[in-house]
Amino acid sequence: MIEAHDLGVTFPNGTEALKGINVKIDDGEFVAVIGLSGAGKSTFLRTLNGLVKPTQGAVRVGGVDVGRLSGRSLQRFRRTVGFIFQQFNLVTRLTALDNVLHGRLGYLPTWRGLLGLYGERDYALARTYLEEVGLADKQHVRVDALSGGQQQRVAIARAMAQEPQLVLADEPMASLDPRLSDVILGLLKDYNEAHGVTVLVNIHVLELARRYARRVLAFNQGRLVFDGPVEELTDELAEQIYAGSLEAL
Amino acid sequence: MTWLFPLLGFLVAALAALSRSSARRYLYAGGIALLVAFFTFPFSSAIGYLSREAVYPTPAGLLPSWAPLGLIALAGLLAVLPLAPRLQGLLGTIGGVVVLLVSYSWLAQPVFLAKIVPLPGLTEAAIAFLAGGLLFLMLRERSLALALVVGLVVAGGSFTLLNGPVGHTYFPRLEGYYKLIRPLPAEESEHLIREYNQGLAKTNALREEIGLKLLKPIESLADLEGGVPKDLAAEGVRLVRPSSLRYGTTAVLFLAGLLLASSLFLMRNPELVEAGDRVSGLTAAAVFLILVPSFYATEFSLGRLVEGWPFFVNFLDRSWPPNLADPAHNIFPLQEVASQMALTVEIALVGTFLAMLFAIPSSFLAARNLTRGSAFTRTVFTLTRAFYNIDRGIDTLILALIFVAAVGLGPFAGVLAMAIHSIADLGKLYSEAIENVERGPIEALEAVGASGTNVVRWAILPQVLPLFVAYTLYRFEINFRVSIVLGFVGAGGIGFFIQNAMASGQYDQMIIGIIAIVIVVNLIDFGSSWLRSKLV
Repeated sequence: MIEAHDLGVTFPNGTEALKGINVKIDDGEFVAVIGLSGAGKSTFLRTLNGLVKPTQGAVRVGGVDVGRLSGRSLQRFRRTVGFIFQQFNLVTRLTALDNVLHGRLGYLPTWRGLLGLYGERDYALARTYLEEVGLADKQHVRVDALSGGQQQRVAIARAMAQEPQLVLADEPMASLDPRLSDVILGLLKDYNEAHGVTVLVNIHVLELARRYARRVLAFNQGRLVFDGPVEELTDELAEQIYAGSLEAL
Repeated sequence: MTWLFPLLGFLVAALAALSRSSARRYLYAGGIALLVAFFTFPFSSAIGYLSREAVYPTPAGLLPSWAPLGLIALAGLLAVLPLAPRLQGLLGTIGGVVVLLVSYSWLAQPVFLAKIVPLPGLTEAAIAFLAGGLLFLMLRERSLALALVVGLVVAGGSFTLLNGPVGHTYFPRLEGYYKLIRPLPAEESEHLIREYNQGLAKTNALREEIGLKLLKPIESLADLEGGVPKDLAAEGVRLVRPSSLRYGTTAVLFLAGLLLASSLFLMRNPELVEAGDRVSGLTAAAVFLILVPSFYATEFSLGRLVEGWPFFVNFLDRSWPPNLADPAHNIFPLQEVASQMALTVEIALVGTFLAMLFAIPSSFLAARNLTRGSAFTRTVFTLTRAFYNIDRGIDTLILALIFVAAVGLGPFAGVLAMAIHSIADLGKLYSEAIENVERGPIEALEAVGASGTNVVRWAILPQVLPLFVAYTLYRFEINFRVSIVLGFVGAGGIGFFIQNAMASGQYDQMIIGIIAIVIVVNLIDFGSSWLRSKLV
């Protein structure tokens, strides 16, 4: 369960990235977050795993006030939240398996992490999820030898290997060939349905959001301007969401 | 040979003009540099009784003695006026010719007696103004008010310091450094000659006693050997010899040639101008003004090279053919070179390895992106960087001299020196590699809940490790060349062999060492750059 209460983020340079967000997301939902770039989608996702600290209000994930966490407790929280980046953010000089195993680092004592002494279960999980994203045969291939789509699948497997309560995906298809969007979103959707894990995906392509999500959150200039089932998102409304931002540009 | 200098200036400007680059730039450069040289470069010698009493007056300082020198400044000034190119060229041509005429007729002036008039505070003010001005220019971008205040404070402060007892204690020659040269009336010279000739009988009596050559009476000051008598010198009287060249003379002659040629070309083709000529001319002037005194200070002389040529040939003669082995006398230089060369490589290997061992951990403390966290880590960062900067400033050779004194002659001293100096160099390269890593993987590992050390281990280390290896190899290449020279200060290896062979005159053995160095340096450079290209 995610609860944001009067959530606001102002960056040190004075930009108001988020303003007065109130939202509640139940466990197991698949939510699309839409809006133009710069509308606050990314910042919203990043507050949910503590990569960005709220400057106002609070956000609770599974009952934990994320903004108050720091140090060890923040690490313990983060290992339960998978994050998928637009630019994959893999360590390209390591193999696919090594990268997926990184998802287990949060569960290991630091010294074992340093030496790369993962347990049997960690290896089993990593292999399972590599298989789930269809890359079982690539586990010993260095990531810089993989295609963009394959790299993003490795990143998804890394998030799954965390066995998270929540998966956040920040424009996971934006750096990829548009034809791969269905592969990526399909993986996330299947995962959501099979494991009942909440998934939030930032998408700026409205069409994709309509196709995959039940619920849509729309941001415009840092404000939550729409929150509801995808059916209620009429063309007019969508136009307002995007057009308003254009005027601001 | 003085005609060489204007010719050189002429050639520089002519080459520039022929390659269609701006002639006006060199016109400006010549004008600006002439003005600076007029006020700051020594143009002649004025000799006292002791050699340290000699002063080297500038053209400006010589003005009271011979006013035509002022034309040099006038020519420089006219050349920098922003006029139509053709007119500028005309004025520059006249200026160039005038400067040449004035300079050569000054060189032909007779020797004369003059009194020096120190201008106290002038040099001090110039230095202080320069320091303040430089700071002003550096800070101007940030804030004009701050730059003004800092510039004024520094200028004022350094002037008070330099012009006070402190400055005159530490820099005794600074007080009244800038001098005017005022000629003495003709009677004084005649008086001096008369007095000299009168005292000659007494001097010659003394000289005869100790068996020295007798001196003849003199007719003019030019015949006066050495300088002026002791008591006169103490009163500030000097003997000015216009024919003696100082670097100011060289510079003025060179610049006159430059001015003349660039002006002629500009007159012929007024198109030879570019937009930023004045600024680029200033840059060119700065280059000339720095290079001319530097050549003079290093006693650069083609003549001496020609004179020394036979010795060079003799040296080569005696080193060829190389004496590879002489079993009759039980000398095996080639084998000796091989083992000393191996030692040189080993010194470089151990020195670089030790440096790497210390540089890797310390470089993480010197990476800005890893130490932003708290005040403590920022302090560690500053301290590590400060250590690097100081260490980088102390050359391996100097450290080797210290360690030779501490642990004795031999390769160990060299290894220690090399290791300590290379820590800074490697550490700085490593930390820059760390600062340039991709942010993405760091963020990703923070997002999975990995601890700080695990982020370093899994997100940063894999990215920087290949670079670390490449930098280490690169440093090894440098260290190998350093380790050759280390032998000369007694730290063992091939340098030691060469020094010994040279000191004992066995040039035919030394040459083997030199050839070996050429071969091994190239082998190592080639091998290491091949390895590096495989890595990155």
